[in-house]
Amino acid sequence: MGETEINWPELLRAADNASAVEQLRGLVLAALRVALRDRSDVSEAHLEDFTQESIVRILAQLDRFSGRSRFTTWAHAVAINTAFTELRRKRWQDVSLDALTEGGRQLAEHPFAPAESTESSEERTVLLDVLHRAIAEKLSERQRTAIVGELQGLPFDQVVALLGTNRNAAYKLLHDARKALKQHLAAAGISAETIRSTFAP
Amino acid sequence: MNPLNSQQVRELIRVVDQTREVEITCSECRDAVGEYLERRLAGLPIDAALERVEHHFTLCPECREEFEALKKVLNATG
Repeated sequence: MGETEINWPELLRAADNASAVEQLRGLVLAALRVALRDRSDVSEAHLEDFTQESIVRILAQLDRFSGRSRFTTWAHAVAINTAFTELRRKRWQDVSLDALTEGGRQLAEHPFAPAESTESSEERTVLLDVLHRAIAEKLSERQRTAIVGELQGLPFDQVVALLGTNRNAAYKLLHDARKALKQHLAAAGISAETIRSTFAP
Repeated sequence: MNPLNSQQVRELIRVVDQTREVEITCSECRDAVGEYLERRLAGLPIDAALERVEHHFTLCPECREEFEALKKVLNATG
């Protein structure tokens, strides 16, 4: 039977859904095997755990499936997010909020390494100065903390957890911070083109 | 934390430059990424709503990483 003929949400919502769940479990496990095949830190036991957790999330989130893609594509996206989120969490679990907050404070005071200021062109020095003032004056401590987390490569879920908030609120915090910096640069007469050319690698 | 190095400054400047007034969140991206990828693989046009998914990838390395993994799965399973 082709997938277009299977109404997955209906089968999974049914009281007797064991067979559909088992079939979906096989598909998700196979997908995660492909998605994570290049990761040396993922064992067969991890794949089984990720699959189990993914099935729980897929069943809990069935209402989020809009029907605008194949069901299995949506389910695989949920499973991949589940697995990658857990792998990122393990890698970054030792970072503390104190360290991140301290990084945010330093961002306001001395944001750039000395080489950035001494080896820069005049245009670049002006831009860095404007950016420094914007970071110090236009952003809240929480926004600076979130930005430091992002720039350090901390997973977004980890930033969310350390800030003690939810993903949407954290994204808004960061989005508002980026908008504030962009507006400040524009108000200082620095165009997007100038920024791009000044900081071209 | 040490002051920002050149690479981090460039990354900060890049994400500020890429910032739009209206953006989608990671969970909205995840809800739409399947449709976006299926249309891309089928060579179908991407409308304005789905273009926001593409833009989100320029700001969110995690969603981009998950998109690449999903692409690998769809390419393998057809």
